[in-house]
Amino acid sequence: MSNKVVQAMYNDDDILMDAVKEVRAAKYHIEEVYTPFPVHGLDKAMGLKGTRIAITAFMYGCVGLVFSVWMMNYMMIEDWPQDIGGKPSFSFIQNMPAFVPIMFEMTVFFAAHLMVITFYMRSRLWPFKEAENPDPRTTDDMFVMEVIVDGNESELIAFLEKTGTVEIKVTEKH
Amino acid sequence: MASNKKYWKSVEELNKNSAIVDTLKQNEFPEEIPTDLFLGDKKTLEATSTTRRDFLKYVGFTTAAVTLASCEGPVVKSIPYIIKPNDIIPGVAEYYATTIADGFDFANVLVKVREGRPIKIEPNKDANGTTNARVQASVLSLYDSLRLKGPKANGAEISWNEADQQIIAKLNEVKASGLPIAVLTGTSASPSTKKLIAKFNETFENVAHVEYDAVSESATLDAFEEMYGSRALPDYHLEKAEVIVSIGADFLGSWQGGGFEAGYSKGRVPTSGKMSRHIQFESNMSLSGANADKRIMAKPSEQNQVLLNLYQAVVSGVVSSEATPLNVAVQKAAEQLKKAGSKAVVLTGIQDKNAQLLALAINKALNSEVLDVSATKNIRKGNDADVAQLIADMNEGKIGAVIIYNSNPVYTLPNSAAFVEGLKKVKLSVAFSMQDNETANAVQYSLATPHYLESWGDVEIKKGQYSLVQPTIKTLFNTRQFQDSLLAWTGSKATYYDFLKETWNTEILGDKSWNQALHDGVFAADAVQSEAISLEVDLETAAAQLAEVKGSDLELQLYVKIGLGDGQMANNPWLQEFPDPITRTSWDNYLTISKSDADALGAVNNHVANGALNGSMVELSINGVSEILPVLIQPGQAKGSLGLALGYGRTQGLKAEMQTGKNAYKFYKNFNNFQTGATLKLVGGEHEFACVQLQNTLMGRGDIIKETTLEVFNDASLDPKHTWNLIPVVSLDHEEVEASSVDLWDSFDRTIGHHFNLSIDLNACTGCGACVIACHAENNVPVVGKDEIRRSRDMHWLRIDRYYSHEEDFAGDNEVKENGKGAMGFKKAMDALEDPSENPSVAFQPVMCQHCNHAPCETVCPVAATSHGRQGQNQMAYNRCVGTRYCANNCPYKVRRFNWFEYPNNSKFDYNMNDDLGKMVLNPDVVVRSRGVMEKCSMCIQMTQATILKAKKEGRPINTNEFETACSNACTAGAMVFGDVNKPEDTVTGLAEDKRAYHLLEHIGTKPNVVYHVKVRNTQEA
Amino acid sequence: MSSHYEAPIRRPLIVGDKSYHDISVDVAAPVEGKANKLWWTAFSVALVAFLWGIGCIVYTIGTGIGVWGLNKTVGWAWDITNFVWWVGIGHAGTLISAVLLLFRQKWRMGINRSAEAMTIFSVIQAGLFPVIHMGRVWNAHFVLPLPNQFGTLWTNFNSPLLWDVFAISTYLSVSLVFWWTGLLPDFAMLRDRAIRPFQKKIYGLLSFGWTGRAKDWQRFEEVSLVLAGLATPLVLSVHTIVSFDFATSVIPGWHTTIFPPYFVAGAVFSGFAMVNTLLIIMRKVSNLEAYITKQHIELMNIVIMITGSIVGCAYITELFIAWYSGVEYEQYAFLNRATGPYWWAYLLMMSCNVFSPQFMWFKRLRTSITFSFIISIVVNIGMWFERFVIIVTSLHRDYLPSSWTMFSPTFVDIGIFIGTIGFFFVLFLLYARTFPVIAQAEVKSILKASGEKYKKLRDGNHE
Repeated sequence: MSNKVVQAMYNDDDILMDAVKEVRAAKYHIEEVYTPFPVHGLDKAMGLKGTRIAITAFMYGCVGLVFSVWMMNYMMIEDWPQDIGGKPSFSFIQNMPAFVPIMFEMTVFFAAHLMVITFYMRSRLWPFKEAENPDPRTTDDMFVMEVIVDGNESELIAFLEKTGTVEIKVTEKH
Repeated sequence: MASNKKYWKSVEELNKNSAIVDTLKQNEFPEEIPTDLFLGDKKTLEATSTTRRDFLKYVGFTTAAVTLASCEGPVVKSIPYIIKPNDIIPGVAEYYATTIADGFDFANVLVKVREGRPIKIEPNKDANGTTNARVQASVLSLYDSLRLKGPKANGAEISWNEADQQIIAKLNEVKASGLPIAVLTGTSASPSTKKLIAKFNETFENVAHVEYDAVSESATLDAFEEMYGSRALPDYHLEKAEVIVSIGADFLGSWQGGGFEAGYSKGRVPTSGKMSRHIQFESNMSLSGANADKRIMAKPSEQNQVLLNLYQAVVSGVVSSEATPLNVAVQKAAEQLKKAGSKAVVLTGIQDKNAQLLALAINKALNSEVLDVSATKNIRKGNDADVAQLIADMNEGKIGAVIIYNSNPVYTLPNSAAFVEGLKKVKLSVAFSMQDNETANAVQYSLATPHYLESWGDVEIKKGQYSLVQPTIKTLFNTRQFQDSLLAWTGSKATYYDFLKETWNTEILGDKSWNQALHDGVFAADAVQSEAISLEVDLETAAAQLAEVKGSDLELQLYVKIGLGDGQMANNPWLQEFPDPITRTSWDNYLTISKSDADALGAVNNHVANGALNGSMVELSINGVSEILPVLIQPGQAKGSLGLALGYGRTQGLKAEMQTGKNAYKFYKNFNNFQTGATLKLVGGEHEFACVQLQNTLMGRGDIIKETTLEVFNDASLDPKHTWNLIPVVSLDHEEVEASSVDLWDSFDRTIGHHFNLSIDLNACTGCGACVIACHAENNVPVVGKDEIRRSRDMHWLRIDRYYSHEEDFAGDNEVKENGKGAMGFKKAMDALEDPSENPSVAFQPVMCQHCNHAPCETVCPVAATSHGRQGQNQMAYNRCVGTRYCANNCPYKVRRFNWFEYPNNSKFDYNMNDDLGKMVLNPDVVVRSRGVMEKCSMCIQMTQATILKAKKEGRPINTNEFETACSNACTAGAMVFGDVNKPEDTVTGLAEDKRAYHLLEHIGTKPNVVYHVKVRNTQEA
Repeated sequence: MSSHYEAPIRRPLIVGDKSYHDISVDVAAPVEGKANKLWWTAFSVALVAFLWGIGCIVYTIGTGIGVWGLNKTVGWAWDITNFVWWVGIGHAGTLISAVLLLFRQKWRMGINRSAEAMTIFSVIQAGLFPVIHMGRVWNAHFVLPLPNQFGTLWTNFNSPLLWDVFAISTYLSVSLVFWWTGLLPDFAMLRDRAIRPFQKKIYGLLSFGWTGRAKDWQRFEEVSLVLAGLATPLVLSVHTIVSFDFATSVIPGWHTTIFPPYFVAGAVFSGFAMVNTLLIIMRKVSNLEAYITKQHIELMNIVIMITGSIVGCAYITELFIAWYSGVEYEQYAFLNRATGPYWWAYLLMMSCNVFSPQFMWFKRLRTSITFSFIISIVVNIGMWFERFVIIVTSLHRDYLPSSWTMFSPTFVDIGIFIGTIGFFFVLFLLYARTFPVIAQAEVKSILKASGEKYKKLRDGNHE
């Protein structure tokens, strides 16, 4: 099928929201929406699924906790149990109170960093990554909605013009 | 944003099927690249010698070279034995028994030798030898880089042969001229030397042997001679004493040569509920006064009065008329003396023949068992009259030659100028000296002598007690012993060794073995029971004459410090840095003055921003002689009296850093340590002291030094733990239990193997500080110098804290604290407690790492550089330490020491660790710490491990009390006892359980392995 | 416009007639414009101080810690004082961006970017001290649990100092990613505005190719929320752990269970003060008065007032507990702290931290820019002395009177401290010229809700 898209540009988030709703009501397929700032409720309007990144964070946290426990148990109890200030190094649980701070720090460390890395990977963000927004103004004050041309192009354009767009461009999507 | 741009090269591209466009498509470059320009030029190309390969070779080589150059490690030279001496096993220490006899200190010692280097002095306990701080430190003087390294004539180096020829020639001239030859020596107490000088006399006729002590005991000797016939010092067995009354005698210092602390401490430990009662009348705060049960301040002139009254009271029972506080005290003392009878003794340090006579008379009257007049001591022989006469004769040109040995008169004589003048008038002046000191520079011939650790010799310290001196290392420099020189000059071919051996075999040993004697270091002749003759002495006139002595408003009492003694070891950094037990000030002498006198004068002691102590400068003048000196306000200094230490202010043969203090010998008129008619004038400026203890009082913290009285201690009805040896308690299940019995954690099993404890008896400890120097020597503790001490950065692993009371005793302080109710009351109490009393009671407390089983320092080290050993030590892994200093902050005892700078090999710290010679004293078993590392007492783990290995090699269990540390080994007083508490038969095991035992700051719950014993004071007035 | 409703009584957070584009322009202005004289002078002064500090550090490492004023009794003084001081300052940023985000405090948006920047820069300063205070810096890696040729040679996880290592590094790195993630859309904005290719390249690189897809925004918001959720306990834990350095020791005056909350409060206190100091200057210099309004300053002042009072309570509690404990060592430690040789430091601390913030009860004072600025400086002086008092007065007279002594700093101590201040401002000034100092994307999202213009329109409709 063709990968022709229509890029409809809006200059206000509220107009954009209404437009998105209309377009979806008209059963057109919204390819993507570019906004300069988070427009609340847009994802719902577009019918995007909720993100699961928070769940990954939780799991990463657990990993961190387990790792710290393993590390300290290995280093302080198994590999070389020393008599440090008479603190009991006979078993992890006896020595555990002293380990709590680091257990916590490691949990946070893993959760935070791995989550952010996941976010960058999923959203394809990294140094030297080429930007892909259709128009530089979309990071300033313009809002662009990409709609796939499926069938009659002029009809779609006509429809979009009614939604209060300020500019319409038809391009090939690579 | 999307970038599918198409770039135009020219309009031509618009025109389809254009030739130009096509051609351009075909070839990469629009026009030819001019490669021929250089490739075409074959000639140059062939001419060049460098091919591409060559170039690569160069690159490769340089890279390799650079890499290799960066790999070079530091080269440390170490020379192995080519032929191993069969009695030396590298890594195993040899011990030799020898004797120190430098004219001031006399002791039987063991010398620890590693790979042929003497590195430590220990007491020879089989010969009941004792060591004080100076003896312990004397090994470092061997490696003094400024020693006299060879014979010199008028400052120019010459060979021994030349020297001998010239000197013998001159001696013969003198002999011909008929003038006497004076041999001026310090007390040598050496039978064979005496014999040798006699031999010398035979060769060169009228040789006068004049003996001279820098710090004179002449009065005592004269008195004893008058009363008991022989010119010697009586001995005192203080362990037998029940009552000791001392009038200005610092017998725990160097009074009559010292060496009394062992007996004294034996009598002070209240085993079976008995301990001696010690009453001290004195002007300066001395070590003895600090240890006394009752200390009465009396300025020197008053001391005479005290002695007279005491004499009257004891001998003729007359009670002095007016009841001044002083007289009352004297009466009390007299009663106690009489009560104790033969178990009492009176000692006096008054340098006056009459005073000494009276003291002897009192003891005689009491018929004291403590006084021993038969086994007399020979460690002081100096005769002031002879010396005075000699100087007079020299100046009148009546002396032909002066040979000086083991003495530095140019520095120590009060009338040194006259002596120097005299030297100019004699034909021949020779000085045998180890150091390039004042005298060596004032004579014609200065002949280098070896250190006692390089020499042969013998000493008769006590009548019938002979000791041998043997070399422990080949002479470091081109030196020759005095005795060898005498032999050479008398034309004998024999060496002193032969002479010595022969003398011993013929006169001393009888049929006993020389080798055995040499091995033991001592030989006790069969005691000849000669009943000591006692002559009649006219004591009335003596008393009368003593009564004549007039005092003055301001009197000076000269004394010697534990550290520097008479000053002959002034170039010894260990002794310079050794804090005085009383003032805790190092690197200085100063004028000690009472608070009230200081206030009257307007002199002050104040602390600068970093806490260091400063003192006003004053000018002290006594009949014509004057000197500018710093004042140190000394609690317990008698009003109207001043104290000043001899032995400082030397200038020749010393490193600049060691030229500390002012020479007080100039005030030592008539060799009398008591000088009247002193006047003080405040001059501008402040002096910077290097004082290691800036807070002098205990602040009412009675649980740091626990004290009680003999009555309370003997009261069986009292439970120590709840009365005089309070231990912290906590409530467990609403039951009061000992805090130490409650623990959050399962503790480690400490019952297997060795578990070391160190016990310190505060009753036995006199604060003499021998342990401090022993620790210094054993553990390579760096010397940091005056400036660093001022910055509170002393490195001593073992320190002896000295506390003054604010009230007259520490119990009083505790009351003051208790009575400080409410915030303001508490504040007032604390502010008050900061200043010591006018005549405080004093307590000493040796503090080193307490080796806590629950050590606060261990928990906080991020890199686990310090953790607990299986044997109870708290161990430092220096290589692991990154120097966060957290451990030191968290140490309640503040015993950890940080290496603020690189101390060894650093010209900014030009002490023994900065020159190759000085480094020879380092103990190879203990690592020298580098900059940025925390260090501290290790409980001499290298010693305990060596003991364990030794036993293992010999396939036997460790013997009872075999374990020792440097400090416990050096402790003459027997205050420090080290051992294994898992061995029931070790002494320390019992001591750790003793009812006097307590741990320092027990309430913190650190569970230390160092145990202290409650200090008991005998307050029983008659 | 219901989605943008905000109670009319709330004062606008963005004053003036601003459109989305205006915001971009205003935020980009300092970056695109030229630096003025003021900036250059400030920068060069900071740079000189920084270099001087480096000199002192090099001298210390080359010669030994002995060049500082420390001694056998006082093993820590300015080094750790500065460490705690900087960490404390570093708390405000995360607190503003994380805690206020969780509480949905819109006013944070104007200031969080700079607050976070300040956090990161000051934590860098803080991190410096535990490293250089080591006697053997060249072995600093020993504090990391690294496998090594000795096999069983590990760090001591019982040590609060090691907890610090983990806490500080976690805090620094997490704050960094939090900050950076927030920066992406703004860098993207700068990138797309940029005319000069160099700038375009740099900001393209920094923005990680942010495009602002709906899905990215969805994740972006989720990530910010979770990070906030993580950072909040983290920021509290960090200063708690710093306080453990003292609280877990046995030294009277250090061994205090009240320390964790007391330190955290103190940290917020000093942090907000520092934010005030910086923003009051920045809003002027980069004329951002429209976004960092008087109201922001006022709200900050209120926080300062409250935390200041909490700290005050802590001081009083300490004294009370010392007396109530009945332990003479404890009692003496605090008597000495307040009336001993360092009484003047205690007095400074009390007056700066407890009394000065009380002025903020008066609206006239807390809305006065100059006054807020003065107080913000005073507070940070006070907080520095608080740490000095805690560390030095506790150590210099502890258990055994025999080892009591005093501390006085050397020029190196002072030099290094000045140096870190210089370093901090070097970083901050560079930041102010090159980074979007206001989270413009977020601000845009509240423009309609809290923008003055829109509020006027809306409130008009309501009547």
